[in-house]
Amino acid sequence: MSFKIATIADAETAAGFALAGVQDVHIHERKEGTLAKLDELLVSKDVGIVFITYRIAEELGFEFRRRIKTKKLLPVVLRIPDKTGWLPKVDELHEIIRRTVGAEIIVKGGS
Amino acid sequence: MRQRVTLAQKGHDLLREKMDALVIEFFEIVRKIGIVRAKTMQQLSSAYRSLSTCFAVQGTIETYQAAREAKKEVGVDISTRHIMGILVPTIEAKLVERHALARGYGMYATSSALDEASRDFERALGDLIKLAELEEGAREIALELEKTKRRVNALEYVILPNLKSMVKFISMRLDEMERENFSRLKRIKAMFEGRE
Amino acid sequence: MSTDRILQFELARLNAHLPEQRITLKDALSSSNPQVVAKDGSKHKFERVELEYISKIVHADDWDKLRLPILIAVNPKLGRGAAEISGEVEVKVISQVLGKECRDREIVIYRPEIAVVRAKLPTTTQYFFMVG
Repeated sequence: MSFKIATIADAETAAGFALAGVQDVHIHERKEGTLAKLDELLVSKDVGIVFITYRIAEELGFEFRRRIKTKKLLPVVLRIPDKTGWLPKVDELHEIIRRTVGAEIIVKGGS
Repeated sequence: MRQRVTLAQKGHDLLREKMDALVIEFFEIVRKIGIVRAKTMQQLSSAYRSLSTCFAVQGTIETYQAAREAKKEVGVDISTRHIMGILVPTIEAKLVERHALARGYGMYATSSALDEASRDFERALGDLIKLAELEEGAREIALELEKTKRRVNALEYVILPNLKSMVKFISMRLDEMERENFSRLKRIKAMFEGRE
Repeated sequence: MSTDRILQFELARLNAHLPEQRITLKDALSSSNPQVVAKDGSKHKFERVELEYISKIVHADDWDKLRLPILIAVNPKLGRGAAEISGEVEVKVISQVLGKECRDREIVIYRPEIAVVRAKLPTTTQYFFMVG
């Protein structure tokens, strides 16, 4: 089945994605506006993937994490670095690996 | 009662096999993520650099204008595949040409800086789509693995020992009751013999 | 007892991912959207790359004999970490993936080998847990 791609980012990153062919871009300004947009995307039947920058996800904090935990299978939400390359201290995937396997495993290429 | 022990034992063994199998799946997908993440980060960095260059060369306003007017649309085809009781997405990028002109920045003459930025972001997008598929898959597998692990542990450390000690207890009680019966019979017999 | 019910539920779920009907390699190769449907209606897509890999191993005459997905049968009686592959054509495919020569109708493979098979053929193989 076909789906659209959406992006939630700062203006520059959004421009880059738009040039690549992502039609639905939301430029983040205020928390409430962005959360509303995210909610809209999470219930949309057309959207298959949502890209959101690590920075913005961090700013949305608990509200973001809660939505991710309770969302349906689609859309898939992926956090991406913006041009500053900012990444949170704790890598979610590393955490999952640690919890699951009970040991530190180094993922090549990650942080 | 013994049947319940057998059932629990069989359930434990099977769920443990499922758990082992999920661990194999998990490691494989994590391995792939390592590779794709490295590639994606590199490509994205490249794309951001090209975009900066584009802002400098083409101008900020013009670049944003071109972004707004980009006519190409990229979508995804999402299907599913099974891994032992869970559904995991399979995602493929799909180009949806909206207009005859590919990219089509509108009335602005395309510059190589704009082209390069677009191309780099297109490549990055392709990588990111693959990464999204893998990371979502890893998340689903991890969840199922955790659930299965809990069941296996519950069976191994709580339920089976409980059931086994219940079986043992019942067995002991039965033996005891039999012994009591036996000694009662002996006393009755002795009473009769004493009478005679 | 509720633990029994949970057990029954989990055991029933073990094979819920398996399709109602498997399809032959021949049908899969000629389909524009090769997939199978599970009992609950959910779809499982076969990757073309895997289908093509298999088609090179299996003789064209046998394409309608091989049913997909190939089942990796887990039976705890075999011991932890062991699984069985049945069927001459199936065994041929799996042996090829493992770099072994095998003409038997059934083989037992072990955890590291299972990992190799699952990495090479993630959509055209599936686990099958023998509950019975």
